[in-house]
Amino acid sequence: MLPLRPVCGGIWRAAVHTVRMSRGAPPYRLFSSTCDGAPAALADADTIFALSSGHGRCGVAVVRVSGPASATALRCMAGFTQRLPPPRTALLRSITDPRSTEVLDRGLVLWFPAPRSFSGEDSVEFHIHGGPAVVTAVLQALGSVPGLRPAEAGEFTRRAFQAGKLGLTEVEGLGDLIHAETEAQRRQALRQMSGELGRLYQDWSDRLKRCLAHVEAFIDFSEDELIEDGVLNRVDVSVSDLQAEIERHLKDERRGERLRSGVQVVIAGATNAGKSSLLNKLCQRPAAIVSPIAGTTRDVVETALDLGGFPVLLSDTAGLRDSSDLVEREGVRRARERVEQADLTLVVVDSHLRSVLPDTGTVPCVCLLMHRLCLLVLNKADLLPEKQRQKLDTELRGVSGLPAVRLISCQTNEGLKAFLTVLHSSVKTLCGDPLFGAPTLTQARHRAHLQRCAAALAQYQRYRDTDLALAAEGVRLAVTSLGRITGRVGAEEILDIIFKDFCIGK
Amino acid sequence: MLRKKLPFLHSLLSPVSRHVGHLTGHQYDVIVVGGGHAGTEAAAAAARVGAETLLITQKIHTIGALSCNPSLGGVGKGQLVKEVDALDGLCGRAGDWAGIHFSILNRRKGPAVWGPRAQLDRQRYRDFIQSELLSTPRLTMVEGSVEELLVTEPNPEEPGHHRVTGIRLANGSHAISARSVVLTTGTFLSGSLFVGQTTSPGGRIGDAPSSAGLSHTLRERLGLRTGRLRTGTPPRIVKDSVDLSLAKLHLPDSHPTPFSFLNTHTHCKPEEQLPCYLTFTTPGVERVVRESLQLNCHIQQDTKGPRYCPSIESRVLRFPGRSHQVWLEPEGVTSDLLYPQGLSMTMPPDIQLRLIREIPPMRRAEIHTPGYGVQYDFVCPTQLSPALQVKSTQGLFLAGQINGTTGYEEAAAQGLWAGANAARSALSMPTVTLSRTESYIGVLIDDLVSRGVTEPYRMFTSRAEFRTSLRPDNADLRLTPKGFEEVGCVSSVRYQESLRVRNSLQDALTALQALFLSTSSWKKKLPSVPISETKSTLLTGLDLLQYNDVTFEMLASAFPESLSSFMEFAQRLKIEAVYKPHCDLNKKEIERIQREENMSLPQDIDYFSLPVSLSDEVREILDRVRPSTLGAATRLEGITPAAVVNLLNYVRVTEKKKETPQYFDGERVREDTA
Repeated sequence: MLPLRPVCGGIWRAAVHTVRMSRGAPPYRLFSSTCDGAPAALADADTIFALSSGHGRCGVAVVRVSGPASATALRCMAGFTQRLPPPRTALLRSITDPRSTEVLDRGLVLWFPAPRSFSGEDSVEFHIHGGPAVVTAVLQALGSVPGLRPAEAGEFTRRAFQAGKLGLTEVEGLGDLIHAETEAQRRQALRQMSGELGRLYQDWSDRLKRCLAHVEAFIDFSEDELIEDGVLNRVDVSVSDLQAEIERHLKDERRGERLRSGVQVVIAGATNAGKSSLLNKLCQRPAAIVSPIAGTTRDVVETALDLGGFPVLLSDTAGLRDSSDLVEREGVRRARERVEQADLTLVVVDSHLRSVLPDTGTVPCVCLLMHRLCLLVLNKADLLPEKQRQKLDTELRGVSGLPAVRLISCQTNEGLKAFLTVLHSSVKTLCGDPLFGAPTLTQARHRAHLQRCAAALAQYQRYRDTDLALAAEGVRLAVTSLGRITGRVGAEEILDIIFKDFCIGK
Repeated sequence: MLRKKLPFLHSLLSPVSRHVGHLTGHQYDVIVVGGGHAGTEAAAAAARVGAETLLITQKIHTIGALSCNPSLGGVGKGQLVKEVDALDGLCGRAGDWAGIHFSILNRRKGPAVWGPRAQLDRQRYRDFIQSELLSTPRLTMVEGSVEELLVTEPNPEEPGHHRVTGIRLANGSHAISARSVVLTTGTFLSGSLFVGQTTSPGGRIGDAPSSAGLSHTLRERLGLRTGRLRTGTPPRIVKDSVDLSLAKLHLPDSHPTPFSFLNTHTHCKPEEQLPCYLTFTTPGVERVVRESLQLNCHIQQDTKGPRYCPSIESRVLRFPGRSHQVWLEPEGVTSDLLYPQGLSMTMPPDIQLRLIREIPPMRRAEIHTPGYGVQYDFVCPTQLSPALQVKSTQGLFLAGQINGTTGYEEAAAQGLWAGANAARSALSMPTVTLSRTESYIGVLIDDLVSRGVTEPYRMFTSRAEFRTSLRPDNADLRLTPKGFEEVGCVSSVRYQESLRVRNSLQDALTALQALFLSTSSWKKKLPSVPISETKSTLLTGLDLLQYNDVTFEMLASAFPESLSSFMEFAQRLKIEAVYKPHCDLNKKEIERIQREENMSLPQDIDYFSLPVSLSDEVREILDRVRPSTLGAATRLEGITPAAVVNLLNYVRVTEKKKETPQYFDGERVREDTA
């Protein structure tokens, strides 16, 4: 499980962006243990940005920036060299990449100085064309502005909350909102991490952790123990290898896997419930093989659909059952993996079975328990006698907390229209939320963390020979930055590596 | 400012150790049980805060005894000693008095991880601690063994299920009452000693075992969860029987650096320091260990011992076929013994002798006292608040090995903090906490109370997130003002000195920043420094001081009028300059964490019925761990961002409701009881 725990603490989390030393600054302040009172708002130091409009069928995309460096972003991307635009006024500007000065788009920019903004901080909005290429380019350009980083789940709302900008009802729903956003990001990250890219990041993370463990061991134990100087030399090699690999990866734009965009809808359920028939109905062609034999579908069958203008990636999966067949078992494993990554699950159940309500432990239950978004589809309505329909109706009404249920027949098309309406509105809701299935944002986030990771490794090299504590700080920052993608690393984990690799006797 | 002479102790001790009969019915503010590193710091800190304090120990003359290694400090541990000293504790000054071999470990690895360390003279250390305690006002010491805690109904206005009202001694039925009790029983809580196949009750060889009653009260009466840990100590070797010419000589620093911020030099003169010796194990050692395994009870048991201070048995079993280091350390100026660091062992004494004789310098060595192992109970420290008070029991504080730690420095740090809080609680002042962002003591306590222990806990610099800010050189800046202004455990003399130092450092850094020259002017001023002229920017004196080859002395001789008055801080200024950019980066994160730590979560909160949206899983975690602050809650595994926001919201709302001040600064509310 990926601990995407952006807003709360963590081991070795520290702001990494460059802070310029100010000239002629006020008198030097030494370390002071006292907190200056209790500030009203938990103002964060970082400046964050995110796509805050939906994706799919939208002509205009809105990118929001919030935090102290918002004005910097406005200056270097919308060409305000002298003074900032008047507050809260839309102006048409060319939006440029600050690195290459290449024009990315023409769009509206709005400047909201603090405190009169959504988040209570200095904010900027870029209203740009909605195409994925433009959005990606603008997000990446923002990521290159010093002091800016992609927002984590719920961060905008959290800042607004802390600034006292949310109403009472909004505050009540805040926890749920952040939960939903975190979940969406988690699924998004899971999708990306399950592939080759995930393996690459994990490998970097393992190597970095080992580097850190060895540097820490050298600091904490080498005076008394037999930890040879060779340990540090090996770390030197590893660090420069890693730095080179990460930098190469960042330069090679094609290297990133093509991300599947669209709402991920997964059809799941027991064998022979009619999952593949549903897929074929939805895409209006025989994309999957259908047969009366249980366990026909063994692999994931994937189809891209346009559902009323919204991009959908529909996957049919193997029926969930215990099987001794190796191939089928792998199919079931893949099916579960897909459910885990899905934005929306269609749970298909054979309605003429004696009890349609899922037993504990079967898929539908698992979905419900995990608060997944799902629709319960009762198939084979055509086989259902009238008496049993009534019984089913009573049975379903007796259960609370069920997701939307639709009785359909893939054979006679009964109920299919109503089902499509429900499905369409679910997908529409999902697309309206900028975080759902927005791979560009995840990509931008990864990029920002990797850039910091590489910069932190450079710090190790810079201090390696003069101050090992500062050099180690670089490796710590690198581990933290990469940990934002692959999962948090704690001090105990590093100590475990130390004690596994060295006999520390004092 | 070391005192020239310690008073002759034994003549002074008898009037202080009053017969326990006189104490019956006496009301103390604080009773400290135990006279080790935790107990002595706790008693002294409680008395400094202003509490009438009683220290109870089995034998007055073992107060301040170094039960294991004759050394203090090291990497990570040295930071703790500096911090205890900054809070006016004893161990730093005791180390300066008793040290006979000083060295700064990690000298070449950067000042943030320097490890001040000293070999100690056991007798001198004990003398210093005892003399300090004797001259501490409001502190009484008495010999005795505590049989049980006196427990009664809790004060309904405060959280907790019980309240401690004092202790009962083992001999007879003497009960002594106190508002707070600090337990620092070390390895004595249900302790058993192991040598070979023999097991006997006890916490240290030569001392009586503690009564089982205390353990019983903690577990049965107060319902505290306990666990069992083990440790061990090596045999002591007769110095004359060792051929030190076969070992590698290891000299101390030629200029000993004192631990204490108050001392400019150590008691021991540089040239009077004693050396250490380094030697290595041989394949014979491993053979003896393997042959004697069936005779070794301690090593066969699966009680958790430390991974980083393993017995020689564990070392050769875990990493066979290797040569392991053994340090031969002096035990004191006049001592005839050597301490073989790294040879902690629990096999029968005759086999211990066989083993050490497998090491070349000890071929004909004699053992003075055999090594042994100890197993003991500890109280799972997640049951404590960050003030080191047992959450369920008002007035009961725990410090040292009883909390699952190992090491003198870890014990001293907890002792000081528990003692200060026990006193504050007894004097009706709010307890205080230290953040992990401001001190190693804070890291230690936060790790203990929010994560718990699975093996004896020892401090490492790698445990501190803000290592570059929590340096040994700035412990006084970090802690002394707080210790005086907020805790009350620091004398005004030390406080005034720390203010003087802080102001001077600030003035010096401001003066450095005011030197604002072009690179070419700097080149003229400091011709020997390779300043790159490619940048046409202006540089300040502070920028220059960040260069590797620039010292404060060089700048001071170039600008004597503005800088020469700060020469006494030359080294500290250099360190401040180099670390400044990194500390600035840390600062924002530190402030964020401190704000979250300032939001306390009530201890009696019922997480299962809290009217906010939290998952059952999150409720269970919060109920089990009962974090004291929002900051501690965010660090728990499994706490989601959504849960944090909901908790934050809850804290905000409840804090607004009770905006009535409960305490008035400076006023100590005390009841007068006869």
